[in-house]
Amino acid sequence: MNAHATITAHEATRELSYAEAIREAMDIALSEDERVVLMGEDIGVYGGAFQVTGDLIHKYGEGRVLDTPISELGGAGVAVGAAMTGLRPIFEFQFSDFATLAMEQIVNQAAKVRYMLGGAVSVPVVMRFPAGSGTGAAAQHSQSLEAWLAHVPGLKVVQPSTPHDAKGLLLAALDDPDPVMIFEHKLLYKTKGTVPEGHYITPIGKAAVRREGSDLTIVATSIMVQKALEAANVLAAEGIAAEVIDLRTIRPIDRETVLASVRKTGRLITVYEGVKTLGIGAEVSAMVAESDAFDYLDAPIVRLGGAECPIPYNPVLEKAAVPQVDDVVAAARAVHAGRV
Amino acid sequence: MPTEVIMPKVDMDMERGTIIAWHVSEGEQVNAAAPLFDIETDKAAMEVESPASGTLHHIAVGEGEEAEIGHPVAWIYAEGEVVGEAPGKAAGEKAPTVPAAARAADRAAPPTGEESPLIEGESATMATDAGVRATPAARRLAQSFGVDLAALGGTGPRGRIQKRDVEAATRVDAPAPVADRAPAAKVQSVERLVFVHGFASDAGVWAQLVRRLGRDASADMLELPGHGKTPSEPIASFDELVLTMRRSFDELGLEEVHLVGHSLGAAVALALADQRPRAVRRLTLLAPAGLGPEINRPVIDGILSATQAASLAPWLKELVADRDLLSVSFVDAAAASRADPDVRTAQRAMADILFPDGVQAFDVTQQLNRIAVPTRIVFGKDDGIIPWRHALRAPGRVSLHLFEGMGHLPQVEKLDDVVALIKTRW
Repeated sequence: MNAHATITAHEATRELSYAEAIREAMDIALSEDERVVLMGEDIGVYGGAFQVTGDLIHKYGEGRVLDTPISELGGAGVAVGAAMTGLRPIFEFQFSDFATLAMEQIVNQAAKVRYMLGGAVSVPVVMRFPAGSGTGAAAQHSQSLEAWLAHVPGLKVVQPSTPHDAKGLLLAALDDPDPVMIFEHKLLYKTKGTVPEGHYITPIGKAAVRREGSDLTIVATSIMVQKALEAANVLAAEGIAAEVIDLRTIRPIDRETVLASVRKTGRLITVYEGVKTLGIGAEVSAMVAESDAFDYLDAPIVRLGGAECPIPYNPVLEKAAVPQVDDVVAAARAVHAGRV
Repeated sequence: MPTEVIMPKVDMDMERGTIIAWHVSEGEQVNAAAPLFDIETDKAAMEVESPASGTLHHIAVGEGEEAEIGHPVAWIYAEGEVVGEAPGKAAGEKAPTVPAAARAADRAAPPTGEESPLIEGESATMATDAGVRATPAARRLAQSFGVDLAALGGTGPRGRIQKRDVEAATRVDAPAPVADRAPAAKVQSVERLVFVHGFASDAGVWAQLVRRLGRDASADMLELPGHGKTPSEPIASFDELVLTMRRSFDELGLEEVHLVGHSLGAAVALALADQRPRAVRRLTLLAPAGLGPEINRPVIDGILSATQAASLAPWLKELVADRDLLSVSFVDAAAASRADPDVRTAQRAMADILFPDGVQAFDVTQQLNRIAVPTRIVFGKDDGIIPWRHALRAPGRVSLHLFEGMGHLPQVEKLDDVVALIKTRW
């Protein structure tokens, strides 16, 4: 049932929330492909920590929607093993922060088994990670650790920013022969957007230009795409045309889309919620600096990322610890005016 | 928007300039490239041309007054543009981009004169435009239009040259084809390039460089006697060699010459600059001979003895830091140009006069101290023929450009850098 290699046109669309779009993708996968199973803590009767799985257990039964014990290492290990032996498991972490507990299975097993066994076995596992701050869940439940996993060859790492892509990337992940890590920002679950009915995929490794502009390029990930777009609206009123690129996949990164935009605008800002240093912004900046697009830069590159601290519980500080719309606007003004 | 007229940067050390005279009065018409005002710096006086056609307004810096580079001194309105208030407080605010305190600090520590030229030279190697701050986009555009960045004022933070500054200098609104270089040609065309090759070489050594400079029409090559196509002429001394070369140079009948010499040719070029101060305006010396006694005579002898590519190649590789750099065709061409036994005999005789006992028997440091013409020396730290430290004998006003990982052939080994250096005014 992996014949959906291309995006097909869908006339029927409707508004769905990001969480509903993910649930619909899982529903379609469960109904179309009997190898697909859902695994995770409290995803069964409870419906998942963020109610993403919902009532799928009632539709598909306990044999295909499995509640796993409170051991991320154990659950992830079962999912990896199941993938190696022919299933297409989708394993949900309650919080992406708990990836720390399952690193052995993700980094040492899932990412490397195909390589170490000379291609004899692949690990087509999909893991979903509710990530990010903004819910008052404090330092151990609010992190953005996607760059950790993106540093591991053998994994693919995606960050959908819209309901459309949340569904399309999950279905693309199931088609992929290798482990795909999906980071879903918790604040996005309730956001709404147009989602086609039926099966479609959003290609892994392909960024989306969300808004075209000629004055500067903003490369953003996940929820920061929404913030960048809001900032672009403010900037447009001031006569500054910002191009907003939604990276969508951070491994493998879509180099060409970013470079083409920088060649056009000559200015680059990166916006991401993970800690600023050694993060996605550094990778994108280096990518530009190492390429011919460097010759088109007319201003230093600016990175906007998370503060160098654990995410605070205090809601004011929590907000201050990650880039907000005003920060993007201020950075864009400075870059555009040649103040940096 | 009216066109901003800025105080241009006409030499590298310049921070401010004084307007001596305006050629156009407030409200008068002016054509692009017509003389607009005269400025005076610590070093020179010169005429500045109008950046645009239109009517001159808002003269902000009057005669006798001074302004920092990049600071607007007036505005030119195109036909039909409404003349309002002097544009932009924003523009006016650019003046403090070179804070007075920073200038004072610069002046508080003037060059002592005792400093080794190495200090200047090493910093100069870091950027080909020696100290010019410009964005990559500005540099790319400047290169494609042949615009000299050092002559521009920057409107970015701390005077950084932005793409818009280069566009303003070329008077184009969008990147245009390289062929459309008329505005920039104004800066460059007055200057003629004349090249002098080194010992046991010939004019062909400049081919790639000249191609890259895009000046086939205006570059001249001088060949040493007994080299290339130039007949052998016995010389008894370095002075005689210079005399012979001076005749060739005079025959060109050129003024405003930028003389570029390599190795022995650089020593000759230096002597020519000393003897023809009015014709030679700038001097670029690549791995120059004549600044110290040592020279690698075994390599010279090896090259002189080689009768075929197989025996020549190992010696030619001694000339460069990266021995893989010399292509088979380079070696073959060198061997072909030395195929004539008479050429080798003539050059051996010249070597015995100029480099007896493995010593450079001539010295042009006197000339280097004497000449006033702006001079650059380019040396590779891995030069295996002439020790680069000879360059340290240069007086402080001579710019040194010392490259890591480069041997005795700058024009081959660091082509891009040499091209950029030659294009940059100083």
